[in-house]
Amino acid sequence: MQRMSANGSVTSLQLGSVAGAEKPDVHLLPCEIEHDGPAEVTRYFTAALKDRKHEKSVSFRGRGLKGQEVSCPHGYTGLVLRENHKPTSDQEDRTVRVSSVFHRFTYWNLDTPPTSDDGVVMAMAWPEIAEAIHGLVDD
Amino acid sequence: MDLSDFEANNSVSCRLSSAIPDVCKTEDCCLGIDEAGRGPVLGPMVYGICYCPVSKKDDLKDLKVADSKTLTEAERENLFHKLDEAKSFVGWALQILSPNTISNSMLQRAKYNLNALSHDAAIGLVQYALDCGVQLKEVFVDTVGPAEKYQEKLSQRFPGVEVTVRPKADSLFPIVSAASICAKVARDHAVKSWRFVEDLGDVDTDYGSGYPNDPKTKSWLLKYLDPVFGYPQFVRFSWSTAQSLLDSKAVPVYWDDDEEDGEKAAARMNCASMLSYFSRGKAQSSAREPHRFFTERRLQSLDTL
Amino acid sequence: MTTKKKRSSNTQNDRWVAIAADSAVEASKVGDSGPVFVRLRNPATDAASLYLFGSGDSQLYEVKAFNEDCHSWFVGQTVQRDGRLLYFTPMDPLFLLLPYLMKAGKEGKFQPVQQVVMDEDYPACTRLLSCSQTQASLHHVAEEKEVGSQKFHRYSQEKTMEWLKKKVDKTVRALKTSNISVGGGVKSMTYIRAKQESDAREEDYLRYAHGLISDYISDDLSRELLKALGLPEISSPKELEPPSKKRKMSDRPVEAGEDYTKFNSADFARKPPKKMTAAQKSLAKVDKSGMKTMSAFFSPKVKTEKN
Repeated sequence: MQRMSANGSVTSLQLGSVAGAEKPDVHLLPCEIEHDGPAEVTRYFTAALKDRKHEKSVSFRGRGLKGQEVSCPHGYTGLVLRENHKPTSDQEDRTVRVSSVFHRFTYWNLDTPPTSDDGVVMAMAWPEIAEAIHGLVDD
Repeated sequence: MDLSDFEANNSVSCRLSSAIPDVCKTEDCCLGIDEAGRGPVLGPMVYGICYCPVSKKDDLKDLKVADSKTLTEAERENLFHKLDEAKSFVGWALQILSPNTISNSMLQRAKYNLNALSHDAAIGLVQYALDCGVQLKEVFVDTVGPAEKYQEKLSQRFPGVEVTVRPKADSLFPIVSAASICAKVARDHAVKSWRFVEDLGDVDTDYGSGYPNDPKTKSWLLKYLDPVFGYPQFVRFSWSTAQSLLDSKAVPVYWDDDEEDGEKAAARMNCASMLSYFSRGKAQSSAREPHRFFTERRLQSLDTL
Repeated sequence: MTTKKKRSSNTQNDRWVAIAADSAVEASKVGDSGPVFVRLRNPATDAASLYLFGSGDSQLYEVKAFNEDCHSWFVGQTVQRDGRLLYFTPMDPLFLLLPYLMKAGKEGKFQPVQQVVMDEDYPACTRLLSCSQTQASLHHVAEEKEVGSQKFHRYSQEKTMEWLKKKVDKTVRALKTSNISVGGGVKSMTYIRAKQESDAREEDYLRYAHGLISDYISDDLSRELLKALGLPEISSPKELEPPSKKRKMSDRPVEAGEDYTKFNSADFARKPPKKMTAAQKSLAKVDKSGMKTMSAFFSPKVKTEKN
């Protein structure tokens, strides 16, 4: 008999048309905004964003942010996944879909200029290391 | 007054100045410092200096400059014109601190308070005059914070210059009145013709005095509150008026340097651990620590999407 | 718990930002099932972790989350509160198959992998056998026999060590080309004395790579691999981590240290029945016949006076 457990359920990933998906501007902010949903990003944020040679700057809620654009590692694509119907139990199969894709995004630090020691930049090394750990080994 | 340099980028601080009268480079000069727009929750704060040869103090008096606060806007405009006409012996310079600069400074990780910001603006302007060759002998300034401390700070910073810090200096010394007129005119112009960096379309410019207790200012702040972004950069986010409106009407935002005191800290700690316990931490509950490659990069396994 | 400023938990999350290997999101072939997220037994922790199978289960992906406190996303004209960045990176399915192969290997006979890779707690584990990498590399960890059209396998520790050593080598090379800082680890004194400075640095890389690979294998296998690499064991693995890099309390609540899921997985726990400690044993031996029970001490006095 199959034991009922959360480990038996699967979550399908609906790709839809990844190539044709919406390509929004994506920003990673150094604060937690207790909100999921619409926001006037273009009007308040993008319009106020200053893009000088090596540094982007903007303010959010009066605080100074400094940012940098990062590209997805080679061979990788940015995805935004959405789940339209929340499951009612952890034993239920779920479906998430690709709602949009991106190839680069901007991350923002509070006050400090971006450096290669920033967490996001360091984490970008993961795919390359993962390839070494998980790739096929020669006979 | 031409504010186009400031208007080109009103997110940052900007210096405007007159030409240096030749006579100020050869004769002993006095210099007054004053500010405009310190209290309002909206718009820039402007620091101004005005200077002239000590020998021309009486000529300045003849212009009938007075404390800008006792004058109407039209009178201030008129007096600024007169100062401009006296450019053969009167010079001025302004430091416009944009509301965004004020917010950013006061809210940065290493907090930079308004007094320090004011002192630094004043010191920067005096240094500017010295750098331009103005023969400074006397400086008069209205007090910001305790008068003695400020006087000591300025005297130490500018040896050889006699510094007088005095409450109500703007009504006692004509050179300070002149500085206050320059600053106030700039502040008025900047507020009246504020170009919003945000894409807000036509903005209602009926913001009142900008003082937090002005009902017009209050209703403007309510009208232009965005639940996510709060306000345009025109508003000083560091003012308690703005903060408390955001606390009650906007979406909560948490920063990693939020002050963790009392109830809020307790609640946050509680929630942070609940959060990781129930929705994020489960995969982390193994006995073995992930390798430091992962912990240093804040990479963790998941057990559920 | 009713203050206005409290940070509520984010359990109703319905959006995620991820960076995925292109192969994971390639359009599926006609007739193939699309990609699916499943929970499988994590070989290092023995607990459930989330993985992704590409279309037709042809490729396995590991799911990791970059998770710094206090972050959110703007995606187009929306806010996404959950500021994590997920990574879907290709993963070697052999790491997940090894525990099953090793367990079956104890019986010492050749078996079809389909008979070996079964787990009622993690039914999705059979999908691992569909991965092309599984077919291409099973021989790295098992001896193979072919009878007719049927293949039989038997786990080989020797082969597995060779395979893991190759992985360590590859990882060392990648660490070097990616300029990953591997210093700060505790070196074994004998190794330093015996070798030159540059070799000591080489030890840093080896240990680091060994540590990374160990995140995908059992503790036992990790220790064997260390031996196979000729690296002396360092008594406390904690010492390898510089103190400043220790995780913050907030990252990992103390209560989460106990993993209750382990007690549910009878197959793999292989734990002997709970033994009594020496103290418990000696207590158990004591003749309790003359002792008063606890309740006797608390009974009303009147009762004892009746005697």
